[in-house]
Formats: sequence, structure tokens, C-alpha cells
Amino acid sequence: MSEGLLTPPAGRLRAVPGVAVILGLLLAGFAVGSRDFLAPANLLNVTDQSAVLMLLALPMTFIIMTEGLDLSAGAVVSLASVVIGTVAVASGHVWPALFAGIAVGLGFGIANGVLVALIGLPPFVATLGTLGIAQGLALVVSGGQSITGVPSALPGLYGGHLLGMPLPALLLVAAWAAFAWALHRTRFGSYVFALGGNREALRLAGVPPAPLLIAVYALGGVMAGIAGLLLTSRLDAGHPTAGIGMEFDAIAAVAVGGTSFERGDGRLGGTALGVFAIGILRNGLNLLAWPSALQVASVGVLVILALLVDVLRTPAP
Amino acid sequence: MRASILAGACALGLLAPALALADGETIALFTKNQTNPFFSAERVGAEKAAAMLHAKLLEYVPTKADSIAEQMSQIDDVVVKKPDAVVIVPVDYKAIGPGIAKLNAAGIPAVNITDRSADGRFVAFVGADDYHIARDTAEVLLKAMGGKGSVVILEGVPGSLTSQDRVRGFRDALKDYPGVRVVAIQPANYQRLQGMQVMENLLQSHPDVAGVMAANDAMAIGAVDALSDAGHKALVIGINATREAVDAINSGHMLASGDYNGFLQGCIGTMIAIRVLRHEPIESDVQLPVVVVTKANAAAYEAPVAERNCPAWQDVMRR
Amino acid sequence: MSGSSAAAPRRSGQPFAAALHEAGGRLLAVLLLGAALALTSDTFLTAANIVNVLRQTSLLFILASGLTAVVITAGLDLSVGANIALSACLAGLAMKVGGSPLAGVAAALGTGALVGLLNGLMVSLLRIPSFIATYGMLWVLQGIAYAVMGGEAVYGFPRAFRMLGIGRIVGVPVPVLAMLALLALGTLLLRRTVWGHQVYAIGANAEAARLSGVPVRRRLIIVYLASGVAVGFASLVFLARLNSAEADIGDTLTLPAIAAVLIGGTSLFGGVGSLFGSFIGALLLTLVLNGMNLLDVNANWQPLVTGTIVLLAVWLDLRTRRARALRR
Repeated sequence: MSEGLLTPPAGRLRAVPGVAVILGLLLAGFAVGSRDFLAPANLLNVTDQSAVLMLLALPMTFIIMTEGLDLSAGAVVSLASVVIGTVAVASGHVWPALFAGIAVGLGFGIANGVLVALIGLPPFVATLGTLGIAQGLALVVSGGQSITGVPSALPGLYGGHLLGMPLPALLLVAAWAAFAWALHRTRFGSYVFALGGNREALRLAGVPPAPLLIAVYALGGVMAGIAGLLLTSRLDAGHPTAGIGMEFDAIAAVAVGGTSFERGDGRLGGTALGVFAIGILRNGLNLLAWPSALQVASVGVLVILALLVDVLRTPAP
Repeated sequence: MRASILAGACALGLLAPALALADGETIALFTKNQTNPFFSAERVGAEKAAAMLHAKLLEYVPTKADSIAEQMSQIDDVVVKKPDAVVIVPVDYKAIGPGIAKLNAAGIPAVNITDRSADGRFVAFVGADDYHIARDTAEVLLKAMGGKGSVVILEGVPGSLTSQDRVRGFRDALKDYPGVRVVAIQPANYQRLQGMQVMENLLQSHPDVAGVMAANDAMAIGAVDALSDAGHKALVIGINATREAVDAINSGHMLASGDYNGFLQGCIGTMIAIRVLRHEPIESDVQLPVVVVTKANAAAYEAPVAERNCPAWQDVMRR
Repeated sequence: MSGSSAAAPRRSGQPFAAALHEAGGRLLAVLLLGAALALTSDTFLTAANIVNVLRQTSLLFILASGLTAVVITAGLDLSVGANIALSACLAGLAMKVGGSPLAGVAAALGTGALVGLLNGLMVSLLRIPSFIATYGMLWVLQGIAYAVMGGEAVYGFPRAFRMLGIGRIVGVPVPVLAMLALLALGTLLLRRTVWGHQVYAIGANAEAARLSGVPVRRRLIIVYLASGVAVGFASLVFLARLNSAEADIGDTLTLPAIAAVLIGGTSLFGGVGSLFGSFIGALLLTLVLNGMNLLDVNANWQPLVTGTIVLLAVWLDLRTRRARALRR
């Protein structure tokens, strides 16, 4: 995609991204403003809440690195949630539901990849179309209703603990570590860098780009399926619109984190900061009980400021 | 506490929250969105009740309208903040269960208003029954139509409890009028523009429509505009008794609107929460009576919500 | 990725004929859908329904018109929905307070223009990516609209003002005339003026445009400003048709407006696209909903059908363009 759309300014400093500055200010402000904010219980609370967004933002980082976009992520989360709920209720077990949810995500991910890589549709249009299809299927399958009566093991996932840590927080950390490992330590990761930055080199090296691109979108679908599982477990119900609009939060988290639409420039650390900045802003403003109209505007100010800090520190070209 | 909030707000370089701090208990109120006048009436009612009883009210509304995931997060945050009591309209009555369980586990008493939650322990429920309001309002339309002709039904957001119950109420009322035919049931998502455009489209294939049942007033008024633009006469009913609908009823553009009285629900829900904390007797299930607003009784509905006052507790009990 | 190499539009020939030629595949999709609807619904092909469909198309097209220019420069404006909501609310309040339709017109165009200007400044001077700048702007505008309206609606405007939405001239609704005028003027502006060619050149390659002397920053600011003004104008049409405004009216308009532009063949890679294409895109989306209403299709199916048709239309377009490219 050409300049202007999602491309952060050229010559950006490798140092601390703007979002880190904003995050620091938020942490300081909320710590002073609310005695509950720094309590361990609240910090775990924010981490748990950020897990779903992190699961979506990590693969979105990869997709954006390939000069792509996935607008269907939120709708696929909703559809996966509905399918997980339906299968769990019908079978009485969590495992088949889990596989069904991930399979749905995988299917949509592959479909997105095929539309983009093989048929050649622009990613924005392709995933806008699959957004409609996934949202429509979620409504049709559920009849527009949330699906309750899931086996009690399912809510145990979101509320569960392992080694004294809540599962969503563990999942968040594990997913980030796995993506960072895949990007920086595997051949797949270097191919992902090349997909965005130097596709020609990939071709010359004899690696066909299409299957790789499909794999990147498929990964996005699988993560949306897992996010749907986590959300379903949190709500104790399948919900046909639970994921609505989450793709934009994920894209915003990636962009404020400094990942560029060009040059295959991916920043998973920045993405994590972006996810936490969004989560902490909402949490802190709730603790301060700010009027909700101001909370809405604050989200926009955060996004613009984070990018602005970067721009102001970069000399004009 | 107050000083620290102010310090935090100043540290962020922004203004302090506008909500006044009172001496009494802290009540957290959860509603579904910022855009439906019904919920804003509910919030005003809760504010009036809190002010009347010298309690402090905190309001939580999802920044994305009707987002169940965000309402869950807000409940998590409020459990950290530990208000004395909670008054809640669940975004989704089935999926809110784990959130209520958290409130229960934290020992924060909760009052459920408007949509009855399927799960969890509440000290009380306050609501008006969607089904009966819709049925009674439809009844007024069907009588005015003389028991014959075609009607269309405009649905709200698919999957919302309110829309399902209201449409069920419309359909059940129709059962007593076999001479009236339903020619189309289409969604307009509680939106005015969509109500108008769906009605325009339906008039193409069903120019004989004599009555319109809309699951809320915004869609009803959209339909009224489409009808008058096409030079077509049909009787229209809606639900919520918003100010605009009351005006339309007075000017003869709408026939009736079912009163769901968000203001009173907000008042009474908040009063119950405060009374529980003060160990005063309460009523654990308050069903507000059904009122259908027509030209005959519209005068009482003209006062803006902000100028109304909550009833005294004795009057609540007398209803 | 395809498309970014396309040059500015052909200068030769009639601008409208060129636009028509480019829109081949999409036009085919509209005709196919129209034929299917004509076969399944006996009311679809009536004059009244066609006027009805065009009137419903007009609001979406006006919203998408300025956006088309933004996308041609390889940008995006996600704030159009929130902008139309805030502009309509402020215009409604201005008319109530000021008592004159002129106050409303000034408020709507002023708000739209200010938002467009801010977007343009963020994108061109501050070099914030347009996707993020306008996404942030979306939330800010939404927050202001919520705060201003406090959950209430503003409604009931003078009859003279409402003619913009409900009036007819020789049987044609005023919004449809406004749409056609905007389509004609905008097409001439984009295809026949130096200014228009510079917009395409910026989208095709901003650096090359700058080197060849195009004032890129100033043009970008004007393009975003124009998009804001178009949104302000759309908010007036909305107000005049609906006779009311609330804070949430834009929620359901942003993605359809963007979809109309993209179905219309304007590429997010910049440098390619036309207003006529956006008109076809808006028409296609409106036809889908009109058809589903006429055929009384269950609500839950609507996003699925719309999504499928978006994919099919763009795919069909891609096929016809490739076939044409091969023939050359």
C-alpha cells in the first residue's frame, strides 16, 4: 500500500516509540489519581482484559507487515464464539467446541488468504466481504441470540489459574513470546519480513509468496478462533456480536506500536505496548469514573497523540 | 480520595470529572449505550434519585454501543473500585452471568433494571414488561384499524431481548384480529434512517399498508416520514414515548406509543439500591404498569425528563 | 500488489465515456442484480421504485464522493460516519437556536470543513498515516457528539429547509438531483482540470508528483477538506430528509461509504478510480437492501448477502479488467 494510508513517518527513531511515552504518562496519571489502580488485583485485571485484543493484534502485526489488512477479525471472533457455544451445548464437551472454533477461524483465514494471494483482491475489500459473511453466518447460526448452557469447563478457562497466574494473562504472555520467537528466530519469520519488504527477493530465492501469504492470513484466522474461545469462556455464552469492531482496536494497537505498512517493518514489542495502552486507558478512566462521552473521545486522543509523539521527534524529510 | 482524583486529573492535564461528590454511599450504574434516549432518561432518573437520597452516582456506559465485552470489563474495573452497590441494565441478559457472579463474589449488592438477567443473585428487579407494552400498544392500533387491513412490523436489532419480546407482543395481539394481515416483518435496527428506507421499499410492494408496528419510536417516526412523503395514509405505533413521538402523537402523525418509562426505572432501581444499604424495607420485584400514550393522555408526557422528579418511596409502593 | 503503477486517467475523449468504459465489470454486476430482482419481484422495475432506489443511493453517494478523492490520493477517511453525525447534530441545534435554516447550513458545512481540514493537516503536515489519524478523529467526534446531545434527539425543522431532502423538481427528488450534479461536477473536476490530474498523480506516486512540481501538501489538505465539506453537505441532506438527528446516526454509514468507493474500482493503492464508479458502488449496495426488503428476506441474512455481493462485484470487475488487458 502506498504512502499515507498506514505508513508511519520515514526515518523513525529506533528508540522508544511514542506509545511508550503515552503509556508512561497514563500509568503515572492513574497511579496518582486512583488508589486502586496499582493494586496487584487491578493490574492482573487489566492483563486479563487485554488478552483477547492481544490475540488479535499479534497476527494483525504480521498481516500489516505484508502490506495487508484483516477487517474480518472481529466478525470471525463472533462467529467462532457462536460455533463454540453451539457445539459445546450440543456435544456437552469443551474439546470438540474448541476444535470447531479454531477450524472456523482457520477456514476464514484461508479464505482471506486465497482471496488476497491467489485471486488478487485488495486485502481491504476481500476482508470487508468476509467480514459481512462471517457476521451474517454468526447471526444466522445463532438466530441472533446468545447461546447459553455451555458445559461448566468452558467458563473455567477464563477464570482458571495455572501456577498461581490467571489463564488469560498466561495466554497473553505465551502468545506474545511465541509470535516474537516465530518472527525473529524462524525461517517463517524472515519470510514474513520479506513478504512486505522485499517480495522480489523471495521469488528469486525460490520461495513462492502465495502459500506464505495464505499462511499469514490463516494464522490470523486461527488466533481469531482462539480469541473467540477466550471471549466465549469469559461470557459463559456464545454471542453473535461479541467481537464487533475489535479489528479496528487491533489495527490501532499495531499502528501506534510502530509497525509500518511498508518495508516489512514489524514491531511486536510496540504492538504489546499499544494493546496495553488501550486496555489501561479504559481501565483507568473507569476507575476515575470519567463521564463516558469523555472516555470515548480519549480513545481517539490516545491514538493520535501516540503517532504525533513519533512524528515530532522525527526530522521532516 | 477526592483530592487524589483531582490530582490525577490534573496530572493528565485534563478537567476533573463532572459528577458531584456527595457524602453518602457510592452507587455504580451500568447502561447499554449513549445514544438511545431511553437509557439517557434512565440515567437522569438514577441521578435524581441519588441526589434526593444524598448518594454518589457513578455511570458506566460502553464506549462502543451495546458491547457486551466492554460491559464485562467495566464490571471487572468496578469490582476493583468497590462501590457500595450496583444498578445494572445488562447489555445481553444471557451473557452477563459471569459478570454478576463477580459482583456477587465481591459482596456488592446488585439491582437489575430493564432487561431481566438470566443468571446471578440480585436484591431486586425493576422493569416494565416489553411483551405486554407491545401487546397493549398494538391493541390500540388494531382497534383503530377496525380489525381489518394490512400491517407491517419493523423489528429492532436482531437478537436483542427487547426486540424479540416486542415483536412477540405485536404478533400475539394480532391473533385476536384475524382480519388483519401481516404483509412484511423487516429489521430497521432501531434506527430512524433505516426505518424510513425500509418503509419506502415496503410501500413499493405493499401500497395497501394500513398500519405500522415499530419496535421503537425512532423507526416509527422514520416510517411516518416515508408514508407522508409518498402521500400515503397509515396508522403508526412505536414504543418508548420519546418526546418526539409524543409531539407526533399530538400532531396526529403517530397513533400511539407504549410507555416504557426509563426515568422511573432509573429512579426506583437506584432508590432500592440505597435503601438496601440503609437496611430499609424494599420491594424485590417492581413491574411498572403499562401505559399507552395516545392523544388522550399525551399532556402528562410533555415535560422534559430533566424537569421530572422521582416519586417518594410510599408512592412507589402504592403503584 | 496490483494497481499502484496505474497512471493518471486518459486525457483523450469524453470524460464521462471514459468513466463508463472503466466501470464495465461493476456495471455488469448492477445489471445482473437488477435482472435477478426484476424476475423475482414484480414491483422492482416500477418507476416509483427506481426513483426510490436512486433517492436512497443519493445519501450514500454524497458521503462517498469526497471520500473517493481521498482514496485516489492513496488515503482513507474513517471519520466520515462520525463526522456526518456531529455535523447533523450541530446543524440541527444551530437551526433550533438560530431559528434560521442558514444557521444550520453554516453549522453543517463549517463542522464538516473543520473536521476535513484537521484530517488534512494531520495527514499532510504532521505526516500521521491517514488510517490512524481519521480513526482517532472518529472517536473524538463521536465523544463530542455524545457530550453535546446527551442521549437526546434534535428534531422538527422548517419546511423550506426540508425541501432539500423531501422536495421534488419535475418529479425528481432534490437529493437525486444533488447527487447527479455532484457526480457531473466532480467528474469534470477530477478528469478535466489540472487540479484533478494532480490528485491522481499524488496517489500514483507522491514523491514523483512532488518532484514534478505538484504542491502535494496543499493538495492533500484540500482533498481532505473537500471530503469534510461533502460530509457536511450529506448531513444537511440527512437532516432535511429525516427531520431529526441523534449522536449515533453515522455508525452504520462508514463502512458502506468506504465499500461503495472500493466496489467502484477506486484503489486504496491510489492513483486509480472515479466518481462514477462510487456511484455504481453505492447503487449496488442500495439495490441489495432494496431487494431484500421487497423479497422480505430475514434480517439475519442481510450482512451475509451484502458481503457475498461485495466480493462477487469486485471479483467480476477484476476478471473483466484482466480480460481487457489481455486483449490489448
